[in-house]
Order: sequence, then structure tokens, then C-alpha cells
Amino acid sequence: MKKTLAGLGFALGLPIILVSIWWVSTVNSPNFFVPTPPELVKTFIEVWIGPALWEDVLPSVLRFLAGSAIAIVLGILLGVIVGLNRTLRDLTEPVFEFFRALPPPVLIPVLLLLFGLSNWTQIMMIVIGAIWPVLLNTIEGVRAADSVQSDTSRSYGIQGFDRVRYQILPSASPQIFTGIRQALPIGLMLMIISELFAATEGLGFQVNQFQRRFAIPEMWSGILVLGLLSILVAVLFRFVERRVLRWYHRLKDLENAA
Amino acid sequence: MQHDAEAMPLNTQSYGRTLAPEDTLLSVRGLKKVYHTDGGDIEAVRDLTFDLGKNETTCLVGPSGSGKTTLLKCIAGLLEPTSGEVVLDGKPVTGPPKKMAVVFQEYGRSLFPWLRVAENVELPLKTAGVPKAEREARVAEALEEVGLGHVPRSYPWQLSGGMQQRVAIARAIAYQPEVLLMDEPFAAVDAQTRADLEDLVRKVRKDLGISVLFVTHDIDESVYLAERVIMLSSSPTVVQEDLVVDLPAERDQLNTRSLPRFTQLRHHVYEQIQLAKKGFRPDDAVVR
Amino acid sequence: MLPRFLTILSFGDFWSSVGATLAAWGLGLGIALVAAVVLGIVIGLSPFLRRATYSTTEFLRPIPSVTLIPLAVLLFGPKIESSLMLIIYASFWQIFIQVLYGVADVDQVAMQTGRSYGMGKWQRVRHVVFPTMMPYLLTGLRLAASVALILAITAQLLIGTAGLGLAISKAQSGGQYETMYALILATGLLGVVINLGARFLERRLLSWHESVRGEIAA
Repeated sequence: MKKTLAGLGFALGLPIILVSIWWVSTVNSPNFFVPTPPELVKTFIEVWIGPALWEDVLPSVLRFLAGSAIAIVLGILLGVIVGLNRTLRDLTEPVFEFFRALPPPVLIPVLLLLFGLSNWTQIMMIVIGAIWPVLLNTIEGVRAADSVQSDTSRSYGIQGFDRVRYQILPSASPQIFTGIRQALPIGLMLMIISELFAATEGLGFQVNQFQRRFAIPEMWSGILVLGLLSILVAVLFRFVERRVLRWYHRLKDLENAA
Repeated sequence: MQHDAEAMPLNTQSYGRTLAPEDTLLSVRGLKKVYHTDGGDIEAVRDLTFDLGKNETTCLVGPSGSGKTTLLKCIAGLLEPTSGEVVLDGKPVTGPPKKMAVVFQEYGRSLFPWLRVAENVELPLKTAGVPKAEREARVAEALEEVGLGHVPRSYPWQLSGGMQQRVAIARAIAYQPEVLLMDEPFAAVDAQTRADLEDLVRKVRKDLGISVLFVTHDIDESVYLAERVIMLSSSPTVVQEDLVVDLPAERDQLNTRSLPRFTQLRHHVYEQIQLAKKGFRPDDAVVR
Repeated sequence: MLPRFLTILSFGDFWSSVGATLAAWGLGLGIALVAAVVLGIVIGLSPFLRRATYSTTEFLRPIPSVTLIPLAVLLFGPKIESSLMLIIYASFWQIFIQVLYGVADVDQVAMQTGRSYGMGKWQRVRHVVFPTMMPYLLTGLRLAASVALILAITAQLLIGTAGLGLAISKAQSGGQYETMYALILATGLLGVVINLGARFLERRLLSWHESVRGEIAA
């Protein structure tokens, strides 16, 4: 009992202190830039619990999911192909390094030229940025396949597709998940950026609109939604990773205990 | 009696034994492997010629660096020889053949850690297209044969080293090969477990009627396990000697190892390996 | 496009854009570095502080820096402070988390040995904590460096602070597509140079370390 109380205390302690400081400072001297906590909660409910959920939040989330899914699938596919082939790896490495270092927002003008103000601009923006961690980590994971595992596969006649599906991919999966973990925040960031620049609806778009109209509490409520969304994505990822890589985590625990 | 046994000559010859075609399961002819490195060419294996018969265990022993693993990999189709050929059941080996299974030394790296024990044993059957019901039967049978019927749902890394190697053996026998290749499989396992595993190999061979080619550096193990011991020279490798082990077919760790004949055979193998280590080579002495 | 690229290299404007970009990037990164190292070591060495800040850290960490763009615009407008706000926020978390991991990896035996030799807290930090933490710190710095560049350019594109991003935006709205592509190429090269520089630094400073650590799984 005491332990759970202590745990709870630690988890809530600092946040409560910070919120209190915020509350006190804004109540005493109303600040144009920062709403009071009750104001923020009220605005949050007013603005986002309702049609805005379908009209703005949903399209943003869907675009994010689409972009991330494409980035992950393409990244893994290309990563496997390149990772298995030494010549391809050597050829593509400098090219990849260049494109990976290019800040995706820089390509917004190019995308606008290609796709105009459609959903594809936003989705492609996400893909262009989020694919790199997945691709590069997959290449690395595939390249580092254990030689004894590979010999075993070959000696049992496990070739081609089968070998990729049953040996290469599972052994690379911890590395691939690291790539996905890095890709998701990038995708989220690019979703927001693409909406600030080139959208007619969406979460990022709305927040921007609020700011332009100087609707401050609304703006903050939008930022809060974005924050909650990011946290949700992180939590969901951790949940999925924990399940898919359960064998890996248990193996590591065993090794660390030894 | 004892006197007679000691006086009985050893059935040995200083080149690889070949058999009549109808008795031959696996045939190695003039195997040669040269590695090309930046520092020059390394001739690992110069000329290996021998036949494996049906339903027998043959051990390959040699000093370190005698190309044992190279030879095994060439036979297994994992490595391409520079010249010479390997023929299994009348068909030349160009890639890993279906009727052959390999048990590697590093069981920790050979078993797939993301699969449970039963799934590991099942995998080669799955990719070979064996229907589900038959797969399950073969897996259960193989696990029973190696004494692991009770842990199909465990992960390999949850088991001890000896048990993991049993899983690897189960996987090999579920594959229903004609030849089982084992590359120093018990080198990384403690002595007591090794004794149990050696008996397991003899049991498996007897129950399934397969041939086993067993590479080892442990001389006692080679004599205990085999019907035939092929001793390899130092690099570049040729057959130093091919010895028939005429111990009784029923063997056990306690009694067999205390037989005078065992000691005699073991002594001979040891001598030969020592000669090999010193660089004595049969192709210098024998005119063929 | 390539001839255009070579031409703009000769314009003074181009180099001042590069300079402005690097200024925001470097300043933001530097401030974040100092703050993250100090806070990281202080919090990392105290189990109490670690537990107390854990929930807050896990909550704030996933929030993308760009969420704050509207706020930055409101507070500072198209000045370097907006860029700095975004860059510092994002870079801080990257480095901070890595420093925490680094401090957690400190060998307790080494610390106790230090204490038994009469080393004060500061000395122990210098001689035991710092070397252990260095590989992690440099990983975090490398990651933060590329994030910082992305944010610097983004702020310039969207808020209009001076720099390459602004130049690209102007070229685009002015219909000068060749210039725009040339500038994009330049930005990419800048990113590559920064990335190579970070890796080079990592290798030099960690030449004593047997392996340069990859990013640690969260």
C-alpha cells in the first residue's frame, strides 16, 4: 500500500507542482499569452469535443497513419532488398546519406508543385521524412544476419522468400523496430508542418488559424491535443513493440541476469 | 583372451577407404579446397577421397587447422570445392542436398531464438511443404526420440546447452535425412552432458538407420561413437589413416571404455594425431 | 540546375543565408547542450530526482517541437528567437535522454573507489561520470544536430526568420524554380556536412572507446 502511494506520489508530484505554479501565476496576473488551467480545460472541451473531432483531428490522424504505414512498408521492403545485396549497399549508401540529411520541409515547394493542395502533399511529406530511419535500420538489421543462422537455413533448403520471412526478417526485427520508433515522431512532426503550410483542414491547420486570429486559449488547446496525440502514438508503439518482440526482451533479460 | 585381443591387428590403411557402389551412400573423390586471400592462396584441403557406407557412424578426427570444418561444409553443400566431387546417392552435391541434415557446434546461434522448440524443429518441414498433420507427428516423434517431449513450448534459450543441442538434433532427424553431419557438436558442452549426448547419437542412428558423419577433436569420443575413424593430416589436408573400429555394436560409457580393445584403438588414434600434428604426411611415405 | 547552383554560390546573399541558418542552429544546439548536460548529470546522479521527474519527462518528450510554432510566432514573430525556442526545446530532449542513459551506465565500483580516495563530488563527476557519459552524449549530439537543422529550416520556411528556408520560400513564391532547387540542393549538402562533422567528432573524441554506441532503445 505504502509502495503504490509512493509511486503515485512520484508520478504526480512534479506535474502537480508545475500546474500549481502555472495556475497561481496566471490567476493573479492575467497573461495574454497563457490561459489559466480552468480556462484551458473549458476551451479544450468546447473546441475539440464535437464536430472538430471528425473534421480536423480525424483527417490529420489518417494522413499520419497513411504516411507512416507507407514509410514503414516501403522502408522495410527496400531495406531487405538492399541489405541482402552487397553491391547495392555500396552503391546506394552515399545517395541515402544525402537524402537522409535533407530536411524534409525543404521539399514542401516541390511537393506543392507535384500534388497541389491535396492530401498527397501531406502524406508524401511524411513518407519522405519517416522512411529513412526504417530503411537504414532495416538495411543494418538484414546485413548483420547471423552467419550460423544463414548456414542453418541454407542447409535445410530454406531459400528466397522463405528465408527472408522465416530467418532474415525475424532476426532483424529488433533493429527494424528501433527504426520505426525513430520514424514515428518524425512522421508526426512532418504531419504538423505540412498542415501549417499546405492544408485546408486538419489539426495543425486549425492551431495555426487560431494563432492568426489571436484566439489564444483555443491555440493552446490545440497544442494540448497535439501533445496528447504524440503521447498516444508513443504508448501504442511501446505496446505493440513489447508484444511483437516479447521473445527478444525475455532473451535480453536472461542475458543481463547472467 | 585379453592377450589375444591385444595381439589382434588393427584394421587400418593409410588412405581413405572406398566401397562398392551398392554399399556406398556418400562418396567423396579428390576433394580440394583452396582459399584465395589477399596474402596469397591457402590450400586448406588437398585431396580427400573416401566413401561412407549405409547405416554406420564415421568420425573425422584431426589436429586443429586440419580443414575439418571446411571438409564438412563442402560435403554439406555450403561451400564449393575448388576441385573434386561429393556424390550423395548417385547424385553430385552442388548445394545443400535434401537428404542431408547438419548439426552445428554453436547451437545458440543455429536455433532461431524467436521460435519455440517445436517451431524450430518444424520449420524445415514447413518450408519443404510437408502438410500440417504430418509435420506435427514428425516433430512430436523427433522430440520424443531425443527425450524432449515435455518442452515443446519453451524457447531454446530457456534450456541448458545440452538440451539445446538435443533440439538441434531433433530438428535434424525430423527432416528425415539419410546422412547426418555433425560439426564438433558437443565441444561446447560439459563432460557429463557430452556422455549423454554421445549415447543419444548412437541411439538415434540405430533407431533411424541413418549414417552419421561426425567431426570431432575428442579422440575418446571418436572411438566410442564410430564404426570407422578417419584421421586427417595437418593442412593441406589428406587422409592420414582410415581405421575400422571393431568394438561391439552395443556400447555404453562405463563398460565399453574400459575394454582393452578400446584402449588399444584409442592409443593408435592418439599416436596418429600426434604424428599429424608434427607434420608427418602419408603422401610423403606412400607410393600410390 | 547545376550551373545555377554554382552561380548562387558566388552571391553574398547566399552565404549570409547559410550563416543565419548556422547561427540559429549552433546557438540553439549550444544552449540545449549545456542545459541538457547539466540537468542530465544532476538528475541522473540522484535517484530521487530521477523518480520525481520521470512522469513529466515521459509526458513532455514525445511532444514535437513544431507544436510550439504558433506560440513562437505569437511571442517573437520572424526573429531568431522563434527558431531558438524550437531548436532548444527539441535538441534538449535528445541530449538529455542520452545523458541520463550515460549517467545510469556509470560503474558504481568506480564511483566508490573515487570516494574512498577522497575525491570530492565534482572530481568524481569529472573523472568517472564524464568519460562514461561521453559516448551517449555524442550520440545524442549527433541526433540533435540533425533535428536542430530541420527545425531551423522549418522555422525559416514557415515563420520567415532569416536563412536558407526563407530564401527557398522566396524563390518559390517568386517563381524562380531553378534557384529554388539549387537552394534545396545546398540545404541537403549542409545537412550532409553537419552529419559528417558530427560523426567525425564522435570518432575523434571516442578513439579510446572500443565501440561507438548506437542509439539506446527507449
